[in-house]
Amino acid sequence: MSPGQSIEAEHLSRRFGEFLAVDDVSFQVEKGEIFGYLGANGAGKSTTIRMLIGLLAPSGGRASVAGHDVATEPEAVKSAIGYMSQKFSLYLDLPVRENLRFFGGAYGLWGRELGRRADEVLELTGLAEHRDEITGSLPGGIRQRLALGSAVLHRPSIVFLDEPTAGVDPEARRSFWRLIRDLARGGTTVFVTTHYLDEAEYCRRIGLMVDGRLVALDTPAALKRTWVPDRVLLVRGRNLAAGAAALREQPGVRAAEPFGAGLHVRVDPAAWSGAAVAAAIGRQGGEGISVEESEPSLEDVFLAVVGRGATAGEAAP
Amino acid sequence: MTASGTRAGRFVARVMAIAWKEVLHIQRDPRTLVLALVMPVVMLLLFGYGVSFDIDHVRLAVSDLDRTEASRRLALAFTENGEFEAVGGADADQADTLFRRHGARAILVIPQGYAKDLERGGPARAQLLLDAADPVTANQVLTKADAIALSEGRRVAGASGVSAAPPLQVKVSTRYNPEARSAVYIVPGLAAYLMAITAVLLTALTVAGEWERGSMEQLFASPVSRLEIVLGKLLPYLGIGLIQLLLILGVGTNVFDVPILGSPFLVMLAGLLFLAGMLGQGLFISVVARNQLVATQAGALSSLLPSLLLSGMLVPIDNMPAPLRAISRVIPARYLVDALRQILLKGNGFASIWDDLLAMLLFAVVIIALATRRFQRRIA
Repeated sequence: MSPGQSIEAEHLSRRFGEFLAVDDVSFQVEKGEIFGYLGANGAGKSTTIRMLIGLLAPSGGRASVAGHDVATEPEAVKSAIGYMSQKFSLYLDLPVRENLRFFGGAYGLWGRELGRRADEVLELTGLAEHRDEITGSLPGGIRQRLALGSAVLHRPSIVFLDEPTAGVDPEARRSFWRLIRDLARGGTTVFVTTHYLDEAEYCRRIGLMVDGRLVALDTPAALKRTWVPDRVLLVRGRNLAAGAAALREQPGVRAAEPFGAGLHVRVDPAAWSGAAVAAAIGRQGGEGISVEESEPSLEDVFLAVVGRGATAGEAAP
Repeated sequence: MTASGTRAGRFVARVMAIAWKEVLHIQRDPRTLVLALVMPVVMLLLFGYGVSFDIDHVRLAVSDLDRTEASRRLALAFTENGEFEAVGGADADQADTLFRRHGARAILVIPQGYAKDLERGGPARAQLLLDAADPVTANQVLTKADAIALSEGRRVAGASGVSAAPPLQVKVSTRYNPEARSAVYIVPGLAAYLMAITAVLLTALTVAGEWERGSMEQLFASPVSRLEIVLGKLLPYLGIGLIQLLLILGVGTNVFDVPILGSPFLVMLAGLLFLAGMLGQGLFISVVARNQLVATQAGALSSLLPSLLLSGMLVPIDNMPAPLRAISRVIPARYLVDALRQILLKGNGFASIWDDLLAMLLFAVVIIALATRRFQRRIA
């Protein structure tokens, strides 16, 4: 394993009877990276995580986490990582601090060190004021932060978060992601699955799973370039209709549709610049034209990937 | 990591973390504790006072067809010591009515000519009809009636001047429980019964709860081993079980005068081995069931029935049919009941109960090993 890698998966597969849940997946995650793992429910995200954390034996291929092979040294892997499972699994009847102490104890911490780490994590997650409250009485967002705190109490070098923000309100999600980025800045590698595409923007790199296969893997910007290559322009002004009709006849223009009071124009970036589009509309009587270039969203990427995923096959580099 | 650096240190830290969490769960929901500690006392009082195998005041209907002094004397012999209680006389052909309407358990039928037969010195006959729907009671009533008939026979023989020795001497003596008090006999059985139920149910619930909650997956993702989970789960309930045993013994000795003739240490040792087996059984059930409802039902059935019926608590094992006798050999309650009776009532020591202890130890080791193994199989 190369020194900079935290997680390395090579041709990893997992079969459940006839069903191939994870199909020949290969990727590497660097130290301190936030790696997002995206896909619909049942795409194989949780199965991949369970193999990486030593809960599930791979049916084929190999993977190493923190330098340990997941199939042959699952115990060493478990000690090195933190894991926050998809299903909320804190003890709701216990106070916040006791949950932290318990999971610390499960990783072999005890005595003064355990107490000190628990207090540190309470500070880190902003839960100090709730330390003696019963976990079940707290709102979902706070519980989620506590679950993350439980997963990092023993200072793992890698944390695996399986759908950590499912069912949490947007404000709580944002504060949760602040925590994740703090962790990564501190050198912790974060492997996170999500189906919120806006969250995926926070990740340095994203892997997209479709039906058990990793069909795309890159930075969000590169994914957008690769999968949604059109230039997306938002045109505002008056008397746009004639210009739009004329644009649609031009080569390299993929779409020019009314969008609110303006136009939504998608063009081949090699043939058209924003200024060229503005000029073309101006020639047809358009007035007061402004053109704003907008990025395709990850949602556009996701739709493009899922649309082609079934046939495209190979993962992006 | 500093203080917890050694392998053994981490092992202890993890077991204690799980045990402590379990204690907190119990604290948060004291119903468990109340159930575990109040139920034994209540049940012991109920059983001790309510279930009595000592029978007196048996309701007896007398059908005296002879109507002589001798026949009245015979009827009186039955009722004068309070063992039987007359509930009115009637014709023998109304037996069904007597049993049903007057709640008679027995009918004494003295035929016409009883007194004459006596005078002639020939065998005089009287008939006793018994309601044997409850065979245990019927048996005891029969024994009492026999004894009364015998003594009445001797009295009559003496009065008529026949100086021969009584034809038969029946001498009944009861050992170990000289007054034949049921409570003394039943306390060891109840201890086994109550400890079995609580131990199996509590563990079955706690482990199945972890599966349902999803926290088991979280535990398995940590370096905690199966054995550490098993030990951490068992320790607190072992403690509760021993407190239960102390409570049962306390109530038994103070309220029902159950003696503790043998070593209290041996009593606790036997209790400990028994509890380990029962907790293992609960664990095994919860590992297989993985859901609290199924675990509760399986736990109750597998602990309640065998420890009640096959432990020798109510029905002596020697009186069971061979297949049941064979099954009872794998019921730990059987060995605890035997060990407790020997220690408490006979004052026997280790030498005479080592086989009971060994059997319970064996059961505990096997069932905990099975549960731990099965635990592993369900993951990965």
